[in-house]
Amino acid sequence: MSSLSTRLLISVSVLLMFFFGVTIVVLDTAFRSAGEQAQADILDGHLMAILAAAEATDAGVLEMPPDLHEPRFGSIGSGLYAEMRDDQGELIWRSRSALGTEIPEGTQPRSGVRLFLNESLLDGTPVLTLSLAVQWELPNGELRPFVFKVVESLESFHAQVAQFRRQLFGWFAAVALIMLLSISVLLRRQLRPLRRIENEIGEIEQGKRTSLSGQFPTELTGVARNMNLLIDSERARSDRYRVTLDNLAHSLKTPLAAMRALLNQGKSESFADRFNEQIDRMDEIVRYQLRKPASSQANKLGLSLVDVEQEVRRLIDGLNKVYHDKGPAIETDIDAAMRFRGDSGDFLEIAGNLLDNACKWCRGTVRVSIHPSSGGKSDGGMILVVADDGPGIPAEAADALLQRGTRLDESTPGHGIGLAIVKEIAESYGGKLEINQSELGGAEFRVTIPVSWRAS
Amino acid sequence: MRLLVIEDDATLRESLAAKLTDGGFAVEQAGDGREGLYFALEYPIDLAIVDIGLPEMSGLDIIRQAREKGKTYPILILTARDRWEDKVDGLDAGADDYVVKPFHVEEVTARVNALLRRSGGWASSVLTAGPVALDMSRQELTVNETALELTSFEYKIIEYLMVRAGQVISKTELTERLYDQDFERDSNVIEVFIGRLRKKIDPDNTLKPIETLRGRGYRFALERGPSG
Repeated sequence: MSSLSTRLLISVSVLLMFFFGVTIVVLDTAFRSAGEQAQADILDGHLMAILAAAEATDAGVLEMPPDLHEPRFGSIGSGLYAEMRDDQGELIWRSRSALGTEIPEGTQPRSGVRLFLNESLLDGTPVLTLSLAVQWELPNGELRPFVFKVVESLESFHAQVAQFRRQLFGWFAAVALIMLLSISVLLRRQLRPLRRIENEIGEIEQGKRTSLSGQFPTELTGVARNMNLLIDSERARSDRYRVTLDNLAHSLKTPLAAMRALLNQGKSESFADRFNEQIDRMDEIVRYQLRKPASSQANKLGLSLVDVEQEVRRLIDGLNKVYHDKGPAIETDIDAAMRFRGDSGDFLEIAGNLLDNACKWCRGTVRVSIHPSSGGKSDGGMILVVADDGPGIPAEAADALLQRGTRLDESTPGHGIGLAIVKEIAESYGGKLEINQSELGGAEFRVTIPVSWRAS
Repeated sequence: MRLLVIEDDATLRESLAAKLTDGGFAVEQAGDGREGLYFALEYPIDLAIVDIGLPEMSGLDIIRQAREKGKTYPILILTARDRWEDKVDGLDAGADDYVVKPFHVEEVTARVNALLRRSGGWASSVLTAGPVALDMSRQELTVNETALELTSFEYKIIEYLMVRAGQVISKTELTERLYDQDFERDSNVIEVFIGRLRKKIDPDNTLKPIETLRGRGYRFALERGPSG
């Protein structure tokens, strides 16, 4: 059941069957009970008419006129019969219609009570019978009991019910079929945008189109928009890779050319030094590329909340080993609840480069403070400040430092690579790096990362 | 001093070992993680240089296991991975310093000397005690600012003793840590070298820089200078 429309059609069919089934049962029951009630009323009417027609004779019996109000009593086998018996069960009178028909004797009703019974004739025809016992006052003033019985064949009623049912089923089946057909047609129409998205994606794969057209029903515009964003970021990423690779390849070519030139010159005294210089340059280039932010490689989806305090502790433990001889005092002021939303490697890269620089240049004290960028809420934004008591950086030099390394070819090997990386990572998170004078007397590096950012 | 170099690239390992041997160290070499771990745990060594990316077993695992087994010698990691994440992982595992590939061999020897000094409690690269000064980077011993002519083995002994100034060093330890290959060398040779060193450093026999503790070993006895 992979198709949406098949699933929907099957569900609708089951529902239709259920609702129509219930409706059919209800209608059928109502029709039957109404019919039966009408039947009983008619029988009662006939009985009353017979009672009215009966006349007591002086002989002490009841007589019926030859022609009754209802012609069906007069025609043989009409399906409507009547009879009259005395209290001994002796037949006194029987309608002409009952000629050749044996009416079951049935139960004797109590006096004054109408007794309706579903019985059947000897030939099996189902009938409804109504019996009534009455005390009849004879002309001589004597009271004598008589039993009247009216019998109506149910054959035509049953035929009516059957006919009704056939119609009911017929109509409902037709309605169900029409509904299912129209639903499947509607589904085809409604699901057409999905098929269009599929086709358009196919066209994008084939290169016939660059993005989804964007004209979709409201429910799908979100999907289409996100799909377009994904396609765009995918394209931007591959562009970036191409540019990076291009930059990398070109920037490695210069030192390679220099090395070849050195080799052609033959071994001079400074050969090893100059050769090493070129190797260092290539190393710096590779290093810079390898340390570029992870955030621009992954997108926002792969990021988590980094426990900055724990990471900084690890970093400081490490730096204390590396700078064991110098032994700088590293003071921390870190909000314990502070979480940085991003890649933990990127965070370590920012904090590691800044702290390493600070340890390198300080006279004895380094101070690191990390706080949320949005007033006390730890929702991912961050302000990280690293200050030292070293010689500091003059404003013009700071500007130059921040400008440096924006392009690989322009970065001076060996200088400020760490800062260039910090700056690039901060910017990839939509943040910035600033260099100021610190209260400790040296330089202060401030990285601000806003709460919400889009991976560039 | 006996160093252990665990590095899978043979060219790099051998040139590093050659440079360190030139620098007066006895060097053990291991080409993969398993062998490296064996050396790290079973050999008497003063410092290990461990590459992080090794076949068989990662350098980080070697460092962790060595530290778990109570090995306290300094460990220098070599890593091709330059991100702080990787450096912090290495230092966290128990390394004391790192060098990022590609490196100048001189940088490694400088770090090695610094770590060895540090493990002996010295803060400066020149170890001074009274009139005696040992410059580890230049492998030079001066007394009253006059450089002494020492053979390489004499230098190895005085360096080992001075780095551990104040500690008693047994003859066995000296033979184990100073000879390159066989440990079977006669420990009497050590006595001969100690005697020559005493004469060179202290011809008038007034300073008495090296004490002999009968049955226990030797001790560099001069007070450490201001920088130590």
